Amino acid sequence: MKFHRMLTSSAAALCVAMPVSTLADTSDKSIALSNNYAGNSWRQAMLESWDKVTGAAVEEGVVAAADAFTTAENQATEQAAQIQNMILQGYDAIVLNAASPTGLNGAVREACDAGIIVVSFDGIVTEECAWRIAVDFHEMGRSQIEYLADRMSDGGTLLEIRGLAGVFVDDEISGGIHAGVEEYPEFEIAGSVHGDWAQDVSQRAVAGILPSLPEIDAVVTQGGDGYGAAQAFAASGRDMPVIVMGNRHDELTWWKEQKDANGYETMSVSIAPGVSTLAFWVAQQILDGEDVPKDLVVPFLRIDQDNLEENLANTQEGGVANVEYTLEDAKAVIAEAKD
Amino acid sequence: MTALQSLTQRPWIWSFLATALVWFTTVLMTGTGGALGLSHAAFTFAAFSVIVGTGQMFVITLGPGNIDLSIPATMTLAGTVALKLMAVDNGMVAAGLLAALGVGLAVGVANYTLIKLLRIPPIIATLSMSFIVQSIAIWTNRGLRIKPPQLLAEFTTSSTFGVPNTALVALAVTVVAWLLLERAVYGRWITAIGQSLEAARMAGVPVEGARFVTYVLCAVLAAFAGYLLASFSGGAALNMGAEYLLMSIAVVVIGGTSVAGGESNVPGIWGASLFMFLVVSMLNTYGFSAGVRMIMTGFIIISVIMLAGGWRANAR
Repeated sequence: MKFHRMLTSSAAALCVAMPVSTLADTSDKSIALSNNYAGNSWRQAMLESWDKVTGAAVEEGVVAAADAFTTAENQATEQAAQIQNMILQGYDAIVLNAASPTGLNGAVREACDAGIIVVSFDGIVTEECAWRIAVDFHEMGRSQIEYLADRMSDGGTLLEIRGLAGVFVDDEISGGIHAGVEEYPEFEIAGSVHGDWAQDVSQRAVAGILPSLPEIDAVVTQGGDGYGAAQAFAASGRDMPVIVMGNRHDELTWWKEQKDANGYETMSVSIAPGVSTLAFWVAQQILDGEDVPKDLVVPFLRIDQDNLEENLANTQEGGVANVEYTLEDAKAVIAEAKD
Repeated sequence: MTALQSLTQRPWIWSFLATALVWFTTVLMTGTGGALGLSHAAFTFAAFSVIVGTGQMFVITLGPGNIDLSIPATMTLAGTVALKLMAVDNGMVAAGLLAALGVGLAVGVANYTLIKLLRIPPIIATLSMSFIVQSIAIWTNRGLRIKPPQLLAEFTTSSTFGVPNTALVALAVTVVAWLLLERAVYGRWITAIGQSLEAARMAGVPVEGARFVTYVLCAVLAAFAGYLLASFSGGAALNMGAEYLLMSIAVVVIGGTSVAGGESNVPGIWGASLFMFLVVSMLNTYGFSAGVRMIMTGFIIISVIMLAGGWRANAR
């Protein structure tokens, strides 16, 4: 074992000297994905991207194993137990999409103490020993208002569709939207509903509040709710507002139909589910001895009027627009965080 | 007894009174112009709760401990399988419906098998079944949304004589359910079982047969609702049934059906379903924050149940 360690560390030293051939060096390392939820299309795409990218990486010998595990109940206690199992199984790194930002801190600490690298992404953890690949959800909300301000110089009346009440992401995006409205006071939020990031829930909530609303110029959303909102507006016989979309295939398809029929213009923004693969490469880089800052930021995947067709063509039927990250992308993200 | 007195003795009256009250409060805000739109939306969306609620009502009528927690997963699987099979082909609408109902049948039989053969309490049996069913739904289509056939999408989203088609379908379901409960021997059986299992058994009621039929019926109705909802909202999603677990139980209880079993109430399901939609609309319309909205929803539901329950306590 000692000899083994010496071998790895000398190999690591060798690689610092020769940064060209960094690949072979994590070939005996195994990485686990601890995922808290698989029950929607975004998470399914996330898992598929993981399989695709890490499968190739294992075959090429970049790492020894990259296994994905998902808990059944989306609960912090269950995921903490899962992480403890991973510690016992001797993984070298755990890539984590956490059920709670604080609920897993104990288990994450245990993993760190056992010398395991923990990289959290999307659902990040606050424990200091872990790395965080966070999404700037606040900016995602604010940029929607910025886009609308660019489109409508006189401002307008907005309907806000929020996500799942009480969840960190919902508060962040909504906070960004409200910050945007403060920045561009010509906009006013006339109503707000919770759509739980689901098309059918959004459709119901919007249909319920529409009768009470004045004319709506635009709908700001959080992703997974744009198509449902469009359906509700269509059923009410109102003029179709500018609905910000969330990269789902049905949303993009609807947008394309409207664009062809009447020149409808909007934009679409969300996080690519392939962010799991970015986390994978970051974990690989840390195992490789790379000095990686603890807080990294993922870029959004934004779709605009002129690249709609291209993105729609690349999106799996019924899925979510996706990008899978490469080792080079991960290095770029790391380099950016270092500046 | 005057007409008014006989009316207040109906346990379902409270859900309708609450619905009317919430409707008026909301219309105060929307103005009369919004009244029609609000009512139309309420009937459209209440239809789904009515269908799953009816199934749950039959199960709850069986008495303490009987409940079906696999409703959301069944809806998801039925919607997923049916839409995948139909593959946007108008000619496959009937085949899709049969597939959805088949899923319901299979889940119902499996639920009952767990309960009867393995002697697992229904709450555990149906919960574990829901994990299996949900996993099959994930495995079937990996969460990809397939659009419904044009014909079906149009049918579910349009109206006949101003009444949403989904509401008409739900109405047909409830009429059949009412006939089953009030006019068929099956209804007498499950009511008897709910009131006293032992007495029913001694009176020669085929207890296990009636329970079997009830669990199957509930799963089939959930599957049917899943088929309609997926067609209505433009495709099946893996989390599409999530809302309907608590909803199915809430509409049964608010509608005046006894949680202890043995006493069911079909009209109340309608009142309660409309009420559940309108409460959310009302609180959204008045612009309450999410926290306040949830507290108010809970408070209002408790009040309605207390009123309905208060009537029962006084009557006995």
